[in-house]
This record gives sequence, C-alpha cells and structure tokens, in this order.
Amino acid sequence: MPSKSVVTGMGVIAAIGQGKAAFATALFSGKTAFTVMQRPGRQRKSAYIGAEIREIVFSSNIAKRTLHAASLSTQAALVVLEEAWMEARLSEVDPSRIGLIVGGSNIQQRELEQIHESYRNRSEFLRPTYALSFMDSDLCGFCTAQFGIRGLAYTVGGASASGQLAIIQAAQAVVTNQVDVCIALGALMDLSHWECRGLRAVGAMGSDRYANEPELACRPFDRNHDGFIFGESCGAVVIESLESSQRRGIKPYATLCGWGMAMDGNRNPDPSLEGETQAIQNAVEVSGWSLAQVDYVNPHGTGSIAGDEAELKALRACGLTNAYLNATKSLIGHGLSAAGTVEVIATLLQMQAARLHPTSNLEKPIDPTLNWVRDKPVDHAIENALTLSMGFGGINTALCWQQPN
Amino acid sequence: MTRMELLDLIAQHTREVLPDLEAHHFIASDRLVDLGANSVDRAEITMLVQESLGLSVSRVELFGPKNIGELADLFLQKLNAV
Repeated sequence: MPSKSVVTGMGVIAAIGQGKAAFATALFSGKTAFTVMQRPGRQRKSAYIGAEIREIVFSSNIAKRTLHAASLSTQAALVVLEEAWMEARLSEVDPSRIGLIVGGSNIQQRELEQIHESYRNRSEFLRPTYALSFMDSDLCGFCTAQFGIRGLAYTVGGASASGQLAIIQAAQAVVTNQVDVCIALGALMDLSHWECRGLRAVGAMGSDRYANEPELACRPFDRNHDGFIFGESCGAVVIESLESSQRRGIKPYATLCGWGMAMDGNRNPDPSLEGETQAIQNAVEVSGWSLAQVDYVNPHGTGSIAGDEAELKALRACGLTNAYLNATKSLIGHGLSAAGTVEVIATLLQMQAARLHPTSNLEKPIDPTLNWVRDKPVDHAIENALTLSMGFGGINTALCWQQPN
Repeated sequence: MTRMELLDLIAQHTREVLPDLEAHHFIASDRLVDLGANSVDRAEITMLVQESLGLSVSRVELFGPKNIGELADLFLQKLNAV
C-alpha cells in the first residue's frame, strides 16, 4: 500500500486571476474583485455582491466543439484541470491508473435556470443535451473525455466542504491503490438568483450593508461581518502516492499527512464548536502531529457571524493560538463547492512562497489576540498547515499538510 | 422556404454544434455522421433546425434521412404539410 499521498500539480481560477502565477500574485498583493454581480441569471430585483470571473482563457488543446457545449462550471473545470495535468505531467501516467473526483453537487443552477427560462413556453424544442448537462456528473464526462482518464470519476457533495471532501476522496482512492493518481476538482458553483435569494433568506449570505462599497462587503472575522460574499472559483489538485511521483521525478508541493471529518448530527447551517474541534483533532491525530506543530491555519472563515465565532473558538479550544491565520475568502469570496480545493491551493502556494497573504477588511478582528495576517503579507515558511472547510448539514473537515523534505 | 434555404439552415446549425466545420462547404450528399457528428450532436442539430423552423418532428421520422439533402426534404415536406 502506498505510504503517503502528495500533491504534484495544481490549477486554479478565481475572479482575481487565472492560473497559479496570477492567482498567487493577486493573493499576496491583497487584490479583490467584488462588485454587484453581472452574470445573466444572477440577479432578479436584487444587487447581490460577489466576485465573478471576467474571462476564461483556453488553450488550443480544448476543441471549439467542446467549449461550445460546455457550461461555465465545465469550462472552468477544463482549464484548471489542464493546468494541473501539464504540471504533474500526467500524460506520462497509465490513463487507467488516473482518477478524478469532482467536489460539489447541484453546481450548475444558473445554467439550468437560464435553460428553463428560455424554453418555458416551447419545451418541445429543449436541447437534447439537457439530458446530460443537468447532472453534475457531466463534468466527469467532459473532463475524462478531454484528458482520456480511464481509472475512475465521480462527484462527491458536501455543501461548502465539497472541495476538501474531494481531496479526501481522491487521497483515499490513492492510499487504497484504486489508482496511482487522483485529481480532486473543486467545481465552480454557478449560483442563480434563486440560490442567492435562499442563501440570503437563511441568513448565510451577507446583507446590503455595503451595497455602495462592494469592496468592503467581504470581511471574514471582522466585527462588521454579516455573512459570506460569493465568489466564483475552481481548482484542481493532483494527489498521488509519493512512489508514483518519484517514478516521474516530480517534486511535490506538499504531503497530505492526514484528514479528519466529523458530523454535527444537525441538518441546519449552524456551525458547531464540538464538530469543528473534533474534525481538527481527528486530522492532527491521524497525521501523528501535535497541535503545537501547526504553524499556519487556512480557516473556513466565510464572514458569517456564527460561523466565524464558532471557528475561532474551535481554534482556541485546540490551542491553535500561535499559528498564523488569514482568510482566503476575504480576497476571492466564498466559492462554496470549490472553496475547499481552492483554499488548499492558496495554502500550498503560500507554503511554496514562504509568504502569507493578507486578509482583506480585517479592521477589527472579533478575536484580536490570534496571530492574524492582516493588511500586509507576512514572510513565513509554513511547515505544518491545517486547512478547514465546513458545510451546511453539520459537515466539518480538516486536512493536515506538510512541507516536503 | 426552398430546399436550398433549408440546406443552409442545416449547415448553419451543424457549424454551431461542430465549429470545426466553419470552412466546410456543405452539399446535399453530406452525411452528418461522416462530418464527425455523434448521435448526441445529430440530435442537437436536428432540434436546433426544428427550433428555427418552429416545427416539431418526431424522433422516429428523423431516423429516416440518410444525408442532409434528405433531411432538408423531410423538413420541406413537413413545412408544406402545415
């Protein structure tokens, strides 16, 4: 059985940049891209603030006919997967030993809403491809066709923890030797105005308080937070055994030392101190670490009042008061299904750069005693990082990442 | 609508689904399958034509035509029957 799993390739897109280089530059400079959202189908008598991807640049490897048929979520998946694929040199791996796990469920709601609206009074002309595109697993179809993946491919859903769940599932596929390489993809969650309305109504999405200053609306862990701000993003992480990476002579970004998952036994969006603490403790224990070894935490940190407070209490309960802390969502918004994967990418890029990105709008932290990276980047070589993702329905996940030797 | 106009419409929607055929000169004897259209592509192309014409044709009838000329003839016949 393979000993450890490592990350050998990554691809990312968010409103602040496409590709790791642009994304990292934007993170370290504290760049944001929040505006009143413009994408067709996102607003209805509303002015929801969010961060939208302006343009996706495709390589010539992706055929026009593929792009013509691909949804926004699929297009984002194809470009991040290609970036990760090339970096990890997966064309050198037996395709039957490569897998793909897509994190996210009900991810293409805006696209579906647009189709429903368009064909409402002429349903007899509905495009036959709707039979394929309405299912999230359509992303598996597009991606495996594009890259010739023959091992395994399926979707996993865990609300806002989906991106980390995909990584856990991919690592499990590798450590159980189902495949040598498994790509975890945090799918772009394409919200329609209906989901925005629901998320606002349930009290999760931020209010109109900053309607005239959209750049101030996204403020995880700040006293003036009042909900998450959406941000489109998508990320792919190549997970494989250390042995597999060594066969191609690839230096990994990091080692995935372990993971933890715990449920609250609660259908609601409410966070739970106990569940979050348990997930962290499980992950650290499985990794063979002590909590004192963790020197950086990439928290879930959405900007929700209850969620931010519960998370900081969980970090305190675990004694993680000295570890550096910032909030990637303050810069890119909350990608929901993509968040866990994209934030792992942000963590590993910071590990690589020995630098921590600033946290936007963290003017008055709700707990100022913690070791925040505030408005300026900080030079720090991460040794042991903890990444956290929580989801509605009481889902708590934690991953432990170590600088490779 | 003439047969030629129908052929142009079929060509237009075929190019929409298969953009790589942008430069292809369509003729009546062209078979969609030979142009690289798989079964889903063919269903998509014929549906787009129906949508443009505002005319609904059953899937069973669409199995009949062997090339785009015969497909144009089928649509022409349906249009004239309306």
